[in-house]
Amino acid sequence: MSRLGFLRDRRTAVDVAVWGGLAALPLFMGAWQVGQIAQYLTYGIFAMSLALIWGQCGLLSFGHAVFFGLGAYAMSLTTLGMLPGLEGRTSSYLGVVLALLLPALIANVLGRFLFYGRGLQGAQLAIVMLAVAVIAERIMTRWSYAGGMNGLMSVPPVNLGAFGFTYDLYDPLPLFYGTLVAAVLVYVLLESLVRSRRGVVLRALGADEARTGFLGHDTRALKLAVFTLSAAVAGFAGALFASQFGFVSPPLIGFGLSTEVLIWVALGGRRALITAFLGAIVVRLAENALGDLLGPAWLLGLGLLFVLCMIFLPRGLLGEAYWRLIGGAGGR
Amino acid sequence: MDQALLLLLDAANYVLVIVLVAMGLVIVFGLMRVINMAHGELFLLGAYTLVMLQQAGVSYWLGLVAATVFVGLVGLLMEELVIRHIYHRFLDTILATWGLSIAIKQAVVLIFGPGAQSTTAPFTAQIDLFGTPYPAYRLFIMGVALLVVGGTFYLFFRTRFGLAARAVIANRNTAACLGIPTRAFDRATFAYGAALAGLAGAVMAPIMSVDPQMGLGFLIPAFLAILVGGAGHLGGPVLGAGLIGATDSVTASLWSPVLAQVVVFTMAVVAIRLFPGGLLKSGGRR
Repeated sequence: MSRLGFLRDRRTAVDVAVWGGLAALPLFMGAWQVGQIAQYLTYGIFAMSLALIWGQCGLLSFGHAVFFGLGAYAMSLTTLGMLPGLEGRTSSYLGVVLALLLPALIANVLGRFLFYGRGLQGAQLAIVMLAVAVIAERIMTRWSYAGGMNGLMSVPPVNLGAFGFTYDLYDPLPLFYGTLVAAVLVYVLLESLVRSRRGVVLRALGADEARTGFLGHDTRALKLAVFTLSAAVAGFAGALFASQFGFVSPPLIGFGLSTEVLIWVALGGRRALITAFLGAIVVRLAENALGDLLGPAWLLGLGLLFVLCMIFLPRGLLGEAYWRLIGGAGGR
Repeated sequence: MDQALLLLLDAANYVLVIVLVAMGLVIVFGLMRVINMAHGELFLLGAYTLVMLQQAGVSYWLGLVAATVFVGLVGLLMEELVIRHIYHRFLDTILATWGLSIAIKQAVVLIFGPGAQSTTAPFTAQIDLFGTPYPAYRLFIMGVALLVVGGTFYLFFRTRFGLAARAVIANRNTAACLGIPTRAFDRATFAYGAALAGLAGAVMAPIMSVDPQMGLGFLIPAFLAILVGGAGHLGGPVLGAGLIGATDSVTASLWSPVLAQVVVFTMAVVAIRLFPGGLLKSGGRR
C-alpha cells in the first residue's frame, strides 16, 4: 500500500484512471477509431487551455479558436515551406515553436489592451474575442497567401526527426500515443500550475479580483500571463490538429469552433482541467454517434443542454460527478 | 457631391439600425447586468416573423407590429425561463443567453432551412433628395429608428416609469426598499429590449437577405458600439454607434468591407484602453 499511497489523493487517482484508460483504448478499438480519438485528443488539449482561463480565473473568451487556428496555420505554413525567407526550413519543431509563440504574442497584445481597462466589467474580453474570431475568419477567407477560402491542403504529419533520422507520426497507433503523450505533458504542466500556490491565487482572482488585488497580487499581470499561456497551449493543440488532419481552413480560426469548445468545456466541467478535457472527447464522440441521426436537431439539443447546464449544473455534467468523487476538496 | 451625399445617407442608415439594436442591449444590461448574447437571434426572429406573415398574405404594417410584439413575448419567456434563475451569476448569463442563441438559430434552420429568404418592402419609390434619388424605404427605416430612440429617451427620462427604472439601475436594493417592484421592471425591460431587437429585424428584413446567420452581423457592431460609448448611460450606445457606423461605412466604401471591420475593431479596442468606462461616462458612479 505504501507504494500506491499517492492514489489516496483522489484527484491523482482519477488522473491515473483517466490517462491509463485512454492509453488502453487501442486494445479495444479498430485503427480508424484510434485515429479518430487521436484527433479528439487535440480538441481535449484545446479544451484544457480554455478551462485554464475560464474555470480558474473566470476569464470568458468567445474566440478561443483564434489561437487554435493561429497555431494550426503557423504549423501548416511552416511545414509546407511557405514562410517567406524560410522556405527550406520545414521542420515540425520550428512549426510547433511558431505555433506556440504567435498565438501567445497576439494574446499578450490583446490582453495588454483589455485587462488594463474596465468597461463592461468582466465581459469585454468575451465580446472583444467574439469580434476577433469573426474578423480573423473573414481575413483568412480572403487571404490568398494562406489558401483563402479553400485553406491549405496536404499539411505533412509531425516529423519527429533529429540528427538526420526522420520519423513521421502518421499511422494511427503511433499518432494516438504521440498525441496522448503531448496531452499528458500539457496536463501535467497546467495541472501543476493549478495545484500550486499560484493556482490558488488564480482561483481567488476568478472569485473576486478586487479583494485579490488588496492582498497585494498584481491581478492584471497575472491575468495577462495566464491568458498568454492559455493561447500558447491552444496554438499547440492547433498545430497538432493541423498535422494530423492534414488540412486547415478558415473555420478553424473562427467563431464556430470557438463556440464548440465553450460547449465542450461547459458540459464537461470548467472547474477542473481533466473534466474539460474529457468533455471535449465525450461530446465529440456523442456527436459522431448521434450527429448523422439527428442532423440539425443535434445542435439544437446541444444548445438547450448547454442552457440547462448553465442554470442547474454550472460545474458541468462530468464536473459534478468529479466533484462528488474527490469529496469536494481542492479541485474547485 | 452626389456620391458623398449617398455615402452620408447610407452611413446614417447603418448607424441608426445599430443604435436600435444596441439600445435594447444596453437597457437590459443597465437594469439587470445581463449581457444578452441572444439579442442577435431576437433580431433574426423579428425578420423571420415578418417574412412568414408576409408570405401568409398579411400586410407589411400588421407584420411589423406582430413581429415586435411576438419577439417581445419571446423575450418575456426567456427572462422567465432562463435569466431569472441566474442573473446573479454574471458570466453564466452570458453563456446561457449564448446557448439560447444557438438553440434559436438552429430551430430556425430546422423550420425554414439554412437558405436565405427574402421579402419586399411596402413601397419601392425613390425620393429626390437634393437632386439625388434615394430609396424611400431606407428613409422610412431611419425615421422608425429615430422615433424609437427618441421614444426610449422620453420613456426613460420624462416619465414616472423611467424615473423608477433609472432608480433600479442606480441602486436596486434601495429602489426595492422604496417599494418599486424590481422583478416587474426586470420583466418589462427584458421584453422591451427584445421587442426593440424584433422591430429592428422586421424593418431591416426587406433590404437584406434574411438567413439564420444575419443576427451576428448586427450583434457585434452593437456590442462594439456599447464598449466604445459606455454602458452607463443611454446616450453611450448612440455615440458609440455613430462612431462605429460612420467609420465602417466610410472605410468600406473607400477600401474594402473586411478592412473596415479591422479598422472598426481596432478603434474599439483602443477606445476601451483609453476610455475604460466608455466615452460617455455616467457621472462617475457605477
